[in-house]
Amino acid sequence: MTTTSAAGTAPDGSAVPAAPPPFDPELAAALTVIAESIPRVFTLEMLPALRGANSIMQAPTNEELSLGGAFEITERQVPGPAGAPDITLLIGRPSGATTPTAALYDIHGGGMIVGDNRTGLLPMLEWARELRAAVVSVEYRLAPETPHPGPVEDCYAGLVWTAAHADELGIDPGRIVVAGGSAGGGLAAAVALLARDRGGPALAAQLLLCPMLDDRNDTPSAVQMAGLGVWDRASNEVGWTALLGAARGGPDVSPYAAPARATDLSGLPPAFIDVGSAETFRDEAVAYASRIWQAGGVAELHVWPGGFHGFELMAPQAAVSRAAAAAPLNWLHRVLAD
Amino acid sequence: MRLAAVDPDASAAVRVIGYFDQLTEAGAGLEAIVRGAAVLTGCPARLTDGGRRISLRVAPDGSPGAPAGPPDGSWLSASASASTSTSTSTGADGGAVLWLERPGPAGPVEAMVLERAAAAARTVLAKTRGRAPTRPVDDQAAVEVLIDPGASPEARRHAAGALGLAAGTRVRAVALAGGAARIVPAADAGVDAGGPRAGIGTAVGLEGLPASWAGARTALRLTADGSDDDPGPRSVWYDELGGLALLAENVGSATALIPDELALEHAALAGPWVLPTLHAVATTASLRAAAATLLVHHSTLQERIAHAERLLGWPIREPDGRHRLYLALALRRLRRHLRADG
Repeated sequence: MTTTSAAGTAPDGSAVPAAPPPFDPELAAALTVIAESIPRVFTLEMLPALRGANSIMQAPTNEELSLGGAFEITERQVPGPAGAPDITLLIGRPSGATTPTAALYDIHGGGMIVGDNRTGLLPMLEWARELRAAVVSVEYRLAPETPHPGPVEDCYAGLVWTAAHADELGIDPGRIVVAGGSAGGGLAAAVALLARDRGGPALAAQLLLCPMLDDRNDTPSAVQMAGLGVWDRASNEVGWTALLGAARGGPDVSPYAAPARATDLSGLPPAFIDVGSAETFRDEAVAYASRIWQAGGVAELHVWPGGFHGFELMAPQAAVSRAAAAAPLNWLHRVLAD
Repeated sequence: MRLAAVDPDASAAVRVIGYFDQLTEAGAGLEAIVRGAAVLTGCPARLTDGGRRISLRVAPDGSPGAPAGPPDGSWLSASASASTSTSTSTGADGGAVLWLERPGPAGPVEAMVLERAAAAARTVLAKTRGRAPTRPVDDQAAVEVLIDPGASPEARRHAAGALGLAAGTRVRAVALAGGAARIVPAADAGVDAGGPRAGIGTAVGLEGLPASWAGARTALRLTADGSDDDPGPRSVWYDELGGLALLAENVGSATALIPDELALEHAALAGPWVLPTLHAVATTASLRAAAATLLVHHSTLQERIAHAERLLGWPIREPDGRHRLYLALALRRLRRHLRADG
């Protein structure tokens, strides 16, 4: 190689990533304002504070979730995985719907360690309102108290129950989309793999927003963005280690824990994958889309330039956030078209 | 956690300053700045600039759109005009103004946001003035791209297109008192007699406009109001300056006055007739022609010249003395118009 590059080669021969891509100007400015409210590195010691009543992620009330009466909000206790406790599903049905509707089966984010089934639900409800679709959000048990496979099995059990009770819920079982952001995106991808491999509910699509897919935590973007933005490599290690313990990064991690480990990505429902160019998950998200295509599947990939993790939720006003928020709805209209 | 209107607590100032500093550092555009003002105050914000035909409005949810009507004078506002522009007149344009669609008085957060957002907008406007907006917002912006030596070839093509100037067209840059720039056809550089003082650059192709503009600014310094206090031509062609251009380019605010300039100022104190008389003597072919220009009798002119020669201390009826006088008058104009827009 005769050309020079900003990226170099380490003594051991591995590639050293170049300087990280810049944050989008508006996102960089927003980050200066919100950064002080976000732990630079998430640690397990912070969990009580992050999960408590004064959590930085304030849960919306049923009233707020109804979007001014557009949805009827209910909660249902349903059976969990075999031998495990019941799980709670938060269900939002379009008010006045008389025929079965499509449904977004939402799995919340929070690094596998925080959040509940109201976290990040408002954007899902806003898309669902446009689609006249229902939303079902699953309350799964969190790591580290519940390691793999507890969380993903909770999510899958909720999906199976939802599909089995579609009539009762007014849902068209042929138009269920699994959806999630961050850890929820990883769990949604895993649930899609489980549904395929177990002959479970036939999913219409999988919506994977900045998904957390790869426990190895060693992609160029993970290395490049270390110490920068939101949910950097150190936080990511905390999350994955909470879920997998000492097995994290080793040879025996299940694809249902870390979908990037799946060797076969064929036979999956159409995927929407998005991610910021300036976040840990960039390269694993791009790789997942590429491998779906290589397996003959259908995927739509958006890499938002200068986006940090969760940018469209934390700085929703920015021009790039507005574009990022519009893209999933546009895709949902297409995949749910009759 | 999401970005929302800032509460007026102790850290509000730090957040607001950090937000707009970061926007500026990252090279954000005007809409991003207006959006920042709207989001951090929870109030619709606008940027208006009549001169550049800018009218931006952003709602607190970040959505941009065209304003429904003109700004209300009672709203909170801050000027975003550059305080010392070297190449643009504001005046009738009204200049750039950042608005919050809320009547005063401003709370601490609003005041801070207005100040910082206006400063950030000012930085962007100052940059895009000379630097090359990808698409000029009006003719004046397009002109300024073409006369900017730092503008990219692509920006120059856009600007030429916006002005309807085909490649190969011969043009001249014209520098007007007050700071405005014009581009005129090389063969028809007519200057409005009643208009502002004008320095006219050399004829060039479009790529030569930065050089033509530099010459036009030099020529502008040798123009005069045409008043008794500042007699001389209201328009000057760089092509005709000869060695005076060299003089102009080497006389600045740090250049020491020479005795002839002091003598000229001393003489000027004798009456309003002195400077027009000396200018006529220095620039006409004969004393008879000078008298006709001044609308005075030949003998009156002779008396005035004798008086002026005593005040100056050198004869001005012979070629050497007339040249000396001509240079002293030229130096006086150069000093009066040290800044090309002055």
